[in-house]
Amino acid sequence: MWYVWDLSILLSAVSLVIMLFLIVRRVLQERRGRVQIDQRRQLHTALIAFTENRDREALKVVVLAVPAGVAINAGFEFISLLRGEEYDDVLAAFNECGLPALVGSQLEKGNGAERIHAAEMLAALRSENAVASLLSALDRDRSREVRIAAAIALCDLGSLPPLDIALGKVGVVGQRSRRLIELFRRFPPARFEELRDHAARTDAVPFIRAAAIDALARAAGFHFADFFARATGDQSPEVAAAALRALGLTGHAEAPAILASAMANGDWDVRAAAADAAGRLGLAGLAAPLSALMDDEAWTVRYAAANALRSFGQPGERLLRDIAASEVSRSQRTASLILAEGPAA
Amino acid sequence: MMSDWSHEIVLAASILSWFIIGAGLAQTTIYLLQLIIAAYALSKRPPVARSALLWHRYGDVAPPIALLVPAYNEELNVVESVHSMLALEYPNFEVIVINDGSKDQTLQRLIGAFKLVKFHRPYEEALAHKPIRGLYSSPMTERLFVVDKENGGKADAQNAGINVCRAPLFCVIDGDSILEPDALMRAAQPFIDDPERTIAVGGTIRIANGSRIEAGRVREIHLPNRLLPLLQVVEYLRAFLMARLAWSHINTLMLVSGAFGMFRRTEVVAVGGFTMGSMGEDLDLVIKLHRHMRDAGRKYRIQFIPEPVCWTEAPETLSVLARQRTRWQRGALECFFRHRAMLFNPRYGRVGFLGFGHILIVDVLGPVAEVLGYILIPAFWLLGILSTEYLLAFTSLIFTYGVCVSVCSLVLEEAELQRFPRARDLAVLTAVAVIENFGYRQLNNFWRVKGWWQYLRADQSWGEMTRTGLSGAKK
Repeated sequence: MWYVWDLSILLSAVSLVIMLFLIVRRVLQERRGRVQIDQRRQLHTALIAFTENRDREALKVVVLAVPAGVAINAGFEFISLLRGEEYDDVLAAFNECGLPALVGSQLEKGNGAERIHAAEMLAALRSENAVASLLSALDRDRSREVRIAAAIALCDLGSLPPLDIALGKVGVVGQRSRRLIELFRRFPPARFEELRDHAARTDAVPFIRAAAIDALARAAGFHFADFFARATGDQSPEVAAAALRALGLTGHAEAPAILASAMANGDWDVRAAAADAAGRLGLAGLAAPLSALMDDEAWTVRYAAANALRSFGQPGERLLRDIAASEVSRSQRTASLILAEGPAA
Repeated sequence: MMSDWSHEIVLAASILSWFIIGAGLAQTTIYLLQLIIAAYALSKRPPVARSALLWHRYGDVAPPIALLVPAYNEELNVVESVHSMLALEYPNFEVIVINDGSKDQTLQRLIGAFKLVKFHRPYEEALAHKPIRGLYSSPMTERLFVVDKENGGKADAQNAGINVCRAPLFCVIDGDSILEPDALMRAAQPFIDDPERTIAVGGTIRIANGSRIEAGRVREIHLPNRLLPLLQVVEYLRAFLMARLAWSHINTLMLVSGAFGMFRRTEVVAVGGFTMGSMGEDLDLVIKLHRHMRDAGRKYRIQFIPEPVCWTEAPETLSVLARQRTRWQRGALECFFRHRAMLFNPRYGRVGFLGFGHILIVDVLGPVAEVLGYILIPAFWLLGILSTEYLLAFTSLIFTYGVCVSVCSLVLEEAELQRFPRARDLAVLTAVAVIENFGYRQLNNFWRVKGWWQYLRADQSWGEMTRTGLSGAKK
């Protein structure tokens, strides 16, 4: 039993010594922190002065006088506030001071959060070597989050490799990150066809296909309506629901028939998306299937159907009132709840 | 005959001493393991990104969140709390305050401050709860809804909020708490990066007593001026930084605090929401989620991330603290016995073995063994039944290992997070980490044994939590 006592004394003493060391370290950090705040202030003042007088040499003197870490972080924050000519001028000054090279080395050697941040900064700094550094990160970085950040940055710089290759490098197995949606939303119009082709691949991951459809619907509009119409019949409910949402944004000549059929789908997400799309497109001809959906077992579907009917204006409201006045049922309850929504009388 | 008796007494005393020391050893081993796992988890975790970067990165894809705020007799803080919640930095959220039949002016204060008007809002009656008397919305902001319902307790109020909310994620927070402006964004991050598996996320609860609070925001972090909340600062550090981080790392997190936790609505509805009348409704919900996901054979994550911070007011008097701790103990016992079938059940894997094993040793057996030890070990030693060696072993388990665990938690905090702004704070906390083992720890164990007693007597009283109000903190 003595060892229990001895070990406890030893561990306590060691923990107290380490703590003491950390307190001393903190005292030193506090001093260093105060200096860094001054340096940031100095740099910000120089940057503000630069936007007024465009004296690049004066700015470079200050940038080079502060530690690289301070210059990179404070500089990136500042340029995110600038636009147009001012932005380009500050960027040129940063490039002349060699900041992009430092960011590039941060992308290679930093920890996870620093590498993601470095990828974002490289996209903003638009230096000569940015694309090479980002491609290398996309290729080799061990963290998927960093690879996605590199892909987004490359997309912003217009240098993302072909989508299938880029996704292969990011890694698609088990991929569910919503950051992919961010990547797709940044796609340039000239490359929308690539997104469509990927979304059409039945062997691809449904989440990624659905994300591609969502991005296309927001950015490309009616141009891909035919594709969305076809995708509504996809075997994956996730893809079919995304296609229905897209169709709700773009519209399509076949939309009434497609939506009516989707309202009978076995997956509630698909039924809800179909009801929602019908409401968005104002397809009053679908009032009958929507009324039927108000008895759906899933509340989300009932609510989407009732909302769609309400969005049809007078005829829809009349129908809702009729249902609300009928015998007590799930449809009747949903209708009365929807009609009651809004400020109380 | 007499010598036979004395032999048996010595044997019984030895067995009891072994049980007490064994329980202490098991508890200490768990704490030391937690420390090692937490240190590993922190070292592997990338440093925290700044709020502005998070917004830049996740702003467009952040899922909608409903902030559920049950309020019972919260007239002191509720308006300021709601103001601070409405000012949170998140692209898409609504605040739903649930007035749980308050006897004070909670509802009237809200109506007055936000010009609330009665409102109808259809909602799914997925969970049972006491009747709702009215829903209110504010013409000043479309983000705020107030649910006025009959009193049914915190779990009941939260269930009503879950029914009324429409967002796929909801975040529960106490009415008297203050969230850091970027807390929702940080807590939502696992739901963005891994939306399929993440079903719940807990954040850090910190003690606001002593800090400077203005307009519902913690403007300057200070340590509490009084000893009791100061002791709780170290205690919370140990609970959140060490224990939860460690369990989260091995996906065995058993508790996402009811004071600040984010959940996926679908899964919570599937398990029937919060258990009404439960003393430990937050612990109970997380256990139900584990059970549900494991029964369904689905992959899932229940995560703790240290960055999203929620500030709360710690009890400043012994009587209020005692009520809180006995209630927590009753909650832990109630959940343990309600879900006892999961204990060491291979079907529930590490949750059954590690998670429930931890509750068994630390919450069920721990306090009883320790309090027994305070009385029996010195008595046995004085009677000459037990050697000094055993007395010292017990003393080390109670005091010196306690110092080590508390100081190591502080070491982790400073080495990895550095959330206390001044070196002086660290020195004060180090001293507190030492002295809390001499008196406060014993008091806590006494309250926990009291909680055991109340549990056995089926005492279900919640106990009044007297608040001074966070706005009453240093100005």
